[in-house]
Amino acid sequence: MSDIGSDGVLAGVKELSPIQKLAMHGLVFLIIFGGWEVGARLGYVNELILPAPTSIAYRLYEMFFVTGSIYWHYIITMYEATMGFIIGVSIGMGLAITAAISPVFRRYWAPYAVVFNVTPGIAVTPFIIAWFGFGWSSKIALAALVCFFPPFINTLTGLLHIDKDATELFRSLGSTKKQFFWKCQIPSALPIIIAGLKLAMTGALIGTIVAQFFSASEGVGILMQRFAFRLNMDGSFAALIVMSLMGLSLFTLMEYMDYKVLYWRRHSRMEEVGSKRKRKWFAENGDFSA
Amino acid sequence: MAEELVIQGSALGKQFGENVIAVEDANFTIPRGSFISLVGPSGCGKSTLLRLISGLIEKSGGDLLVRNAEVVGPRSDIGMMFQKAVLLDWRTSIENVLLPDEIRGTIDTDAKKRAWDHLQLVGLKDFEFSFPRQLSGGMQQRVALARLLQTGADIMLLDEPFGALDEFTRERLNDELLRIVEGPDITTIFVTHNIQEAIYLADQVFVMTPRPGRIAAQIEIDLPTPRNIDMTTTPEFNNYVQQVRDVLAGHLDGQPL
Amino acid sequence: MSNDQEASVSNIELAADYKGTLGGAVLRHTIIFFVIMFIWEMANRTGFSNPLLLPRPTDIVASIWKIYVTQGNVWYHLWVTFKEAMVGCFIGCVIGIGLAVAAVLSDTFRQFLKPYIIIVEATPRIALGPIFVTWFGFGMSSKVALAALVCFFAPFVNTITGLLGVEEESYELFRSLGATRRQVFWKLMIPTALPTMNAGLKLAVGSAFGGALVAEFISAQAGMGILMARYTMSLNMPSAFAGLLSITLYGFILFRIMEIIDKRVLYWLSDDLMAKKSVKKETKIRGELGL
Repeated sequence: MSDIGSDGVLAGVKELSPIQKLAMHGLVFLIIFGGWEVGARLGYVNELILPAPTSIAYRLYEMFFVTGSIYWHYIITMYEATMGFIIGVSIGMGLAITAAISPVFRRYWAPYAVVFNVTPGIAVTPFIIAWFGFGWSSKIALAALVCFFPPFINTLTGLLHIDKDATELFRSLGSTKKQFFWKCQIPSALPIIIAGLKLAMTGALIGTIVAQFFSASEGVGILMQRFAFRLNMDGSFAALIVMSLMGLSLFTLMEYMDYKVLYWRRHSRMEEVGSKRKRKWFAENGDFSA
Repeated sequence: MAEELVIQGSALGKQFGENVIAVEDANFTIPRGSFISLVGPSGCGKSTLLRLISGLIEKSGGDLLVRNAEVVGPRSDIGMMFQKAVLLDWRTSIENVLLPDEIRGTIDTDAKKRAWDHLQLVGLKDFEFSFPRQLSGGMQQRVALARLLQTGADIMLLDEPFGALDEFTRERLNDELLRIVEGPDITTIFVTHNIQEAIYLADQVFVMTPRPGRIAAQIEIDLPTPRNIDMTTTPEFNNYVQQVRDVLAGHLDGQPL
Repeated sequence: MSNDQEASVSNIELAADYKGTLGGAVLRHTIIFFVIMFIWEMANRTGFSNPLLLPRPTDIVASIWKIYVTQGNVWYHLWVTFKEAMVGCFIGCVIGIGLAVAAVLSDTFRQFLKPYIIIVEATPRIALGPIFVTWFGFGMSSKVALAALVCFFAPFVNTITGLLGVEEESYELFRSLGATRRQVFWKLMIPTALPTMNAGLKLAVGSAFGGALVAEFISAQAGMGILMARYTMSLNMPSAFAGLLSITLYGFILFRIMEIIDKRVLYWLSDDLMAKKSVKKETKIRGELGL
């Protein structure tokens, strides 16, 4: 995680209070969207190109609460993306673990990994459609294909780049390969694996949507394309916002997983988990200091 | 002569935020040409004091005079050296040494000649065109020292400059540092957490203690100059070590470190 | 911004641990490749797999010959896609790096940008394809726009990460030497950030290609995307595969070119380039000083 908001580099940064910050963001937001709205209403901005924010908001309201037409598209898209994610991640991590354990496999798989790395996954879209047809299976397949590479390469990197001293420590303790794998390799690799999963999540959503563009009868992607081609721009922007929401919810989910799983990288979480373990320890073994 | 007292601090203080007092009520005078060691545990404010003098950070109270003028910002008669060599990886040794001239726009054949000579002086003959990644840690610090000399500053502030090096390299570099800064012109302030090193190098040791950061004692080191490593086993030397330990122990008892 | 933890094939040295000579390794790989191809071919000829979906390797080779030599139609489409992707990549990188520099130099701007960055990161940006096609039409500009939009983010994030990654002590050194903001920026921040920035540019090239292809899928008259789509729609799978292999090959060439540029620019990270550079600089300065 690069912290975009980290300390000002060239000194003399004024820290704003949270309320000031919120007010500032609110103000900027109002200026941008207010200007846009006024521009659209007065005809300075062509509604066919950039519809007014209120029209978009109204379309969103309609989709969700009046006709309810969005839900089915929403659910089918999320289903396709999630299934693709699960399949892609399983394949990617499976290959990575195999490659990490077996140098022979690593050696012979390497050139093909390079091929996958340099070919944009979405270039395969037409093939996937030809193979899997126009239904949801082609979307799942493309999502899986687009998202499998980051978990593969990140898992492999994480598993292979283990601190040399840690390796020696485990060997000196007489650990088995299996113990080394579960107690050292996997935990040390977890941060980079999770970074790979985050990339995969975005990739799965992209794969699903692109496959829908190519051909589909249901899904937010095809919905948006239909709106755009009929010059119903407020509708297509509403669909775009729905996709943003999908992205944001999946993103938040991944961040939450990061927060839960990688507790040893955050001070507040360390305290929390530490005191939990202390209680558990005392409950199991009794309080030694008492 | 006013020139004799180069640096003067009175009731000098520095506070970060609401309640972190990094330096409190520091009073000291540093004569020209002297070598001062600031010694103390982590968090005692020794680096903060050094940065106050360098003008990198602003004081929150008291007075701080360098050559009878308030410190308002970095100045060209003060040079710094850090625990990391802070070399620019994409420049050769000599180009790193030339950085001060480049920044001041005073780069010419004369400056280049001086940079060359400084590299010879710190013992880097034949490494003038090596890149930092091709040098060992000790050699990198030598380049940093040459760069410090290149600034032409006669007040040198060194923040644990050899702290990351091994014991043998550190001893050698300390001796070379002493050789380079000896004489009446160069005033040196040397931050360290190593008591022996502090005493061995200095004319005067400022012992600092944490929470809040204070100068707890200023001890004159009356050992003959030039110093050599055999002195570190003499009773006088150990006496000084004991003195510093006592000051620190008096403050640190019962505090979690 | 999880970009900083993305590994790439080049830094893992997947292939580095071959045994014996390089020639032997190549030979073994080649044998395995041909065995797989042979099995594939045989499975097809004996009817185990459907040649309509998975064409025979020999048919693919024949198609490659056809689209490159006898028909020669692939060159034009490759050129169209290449142009779209490169122009888009250039625009995207300029915008990404520009925004990043502004965000790093101005704390106020960075604060403004922060909430929008998360939204832009989480949105599948490629989804703007249909909107761009509507806005910019069916020609090249919609492809360029989508390529730029898809690829700007990696250089943006990496530039910010790189520029903010300068160590505090380096700033202190420059300030103690009385450096101006401009000097700090050009002599310290930019060179320090270059390795990370270059990594971002490498990612951008790949995603620009993806963006251009997707825009072509949505609607286009020319380009590799539409060419492959036409082939698969007419179930001319050998030619479609030949097209895909071309994309892989050009992707690989671009990737190698980027790596070579990377190594050249970041000469201080490579032992042999440092040695060469040293010699050059030494002759120059020695001459100047008359040594």
